[in-house]
Amino acid sequence: MKPSPDMKQDVAEILLTEEEIRAKVAELGARITADYAGGELTLVSVLKGSLPFMADLMRQIDVPLRIDLMEVSSYGGAATESSGLVRILKDLSAPIDGRDVLLVEDIIDTGLTLNYLLRYLRGKNPRSIKICALLNKPARRLVEIPIDYIGFEVPDRFVVGYGLDYGEVYRNLRFVGVLRPEAYEEQSQA
Amino acid sequence: MSELEESREPRPDCSFAHASEAELARILDFYQVAWEYEPQVFPILWDLEGNVLESFAPDFYLPDMDLFLEMTTLQQRLVRKKNRKVRRLRELYPHVRIKLFYARDFRALMLKYGRAALVSELSGTVGQFAPGPVERSIGDGSAGDLSGLGSPEVPERRSRSARRRAARRAAAAYAAGSPSV
Repeated sequence: MKPSPDMKQDVAEILLTEEEIRAKVAELGARITADYAGGELTLVSVLKGSLPFMADLMRQIDVPLRIDLMEVSSYGGAATESSGLVRILKDLSAPIDGRDVLLVEDIIDTGLTLNYLLRYLRGKNPRSIKICALLNKPARRLVEIPIDYIGFEVPDRFVVGYGLDYGEVYRNLRFVGVLRPEAYEEQSQA
Repeated sequence: MSELEESREPRPDCSFAHASEAELARILDFYQVAWEYEPQVFPILWDLEGNVLESFAPDFYLPDMDLFLEMTTLQQRLVRKKNRKVRRLRELYPHVRIKLFYARDFRALMLKYGRAALVSELSGTVGQFAPGPVERSIGDGSAGDLSGLGSPEVPERRSRSARRRAARRAAAAYAAGSPSV
């Protein structure tokens, strides 16, 4: 694949500006702070897409917290051919039993990955698990899962930026934008 | 092997009407979501004697979600027909949860997983779900509260005549309680 040297040229439309994202993250942080006031929290970020969101969100939450990172294989990736099953590529580094866990996701569309992760994490006996997603794309949902904190509802279009990628590119865009169809058509043929 | 994987059982061979259905089955298996292929036939039209004139067998049933999925990735002219069937199903069986999976949904899914090039390759081809050591499903195969409507144990696509027979049996099961049309 070969993205444009200026990645912004591959973006058809900016859906969420840097300022809008910043304001929403602060708002989510305030809500989470209020909900967990007096307690402690473990934030679990799902690599790689939620990394920028996690980094910004944790600094807007004003209760004692720990962070942890997980990564699971995605369908279509190298792991698909070798195993045919989703794999935990990076597991939690500390136990979560008895702890309040907030799973931090960049986007929830089909809900397939989240469904798997929730079942996996519940098996580790946390006191509670809630979900915080920056973006929600309900039109794509296959597995209905209640989401406790949602930043934005986004339309049914392919979005990149602020952690979201296409072919591992565009994650470092500071905004969330819609990828030009030509960009992924060209790249899928390359 | 993780705690989740231990609960899975090998899945029997399953033939699909379309390669996109086989691909969706692989995705569901990948994420360990239990599924059944065309497990139930819903009568949706009867004649005055109560004979079933038309029935509908959604492509997938996800027992853990209690959700039926119907894929419409074939010709556009079939989409209207399927839309009508789904609308009818929702009218007659309001407790049944069904989601239509359009061609654009499938394309978006393939794009998400970096398999956009597969969409054109799959178009119009017959699907075959080859069983193997890695292609398994979880779940006990239960069919929720609709088990009286058909045979949830049959994971293969039925011929039109077989569907009609199944629809007649389902209609008989409904007997006097069947929704009026």
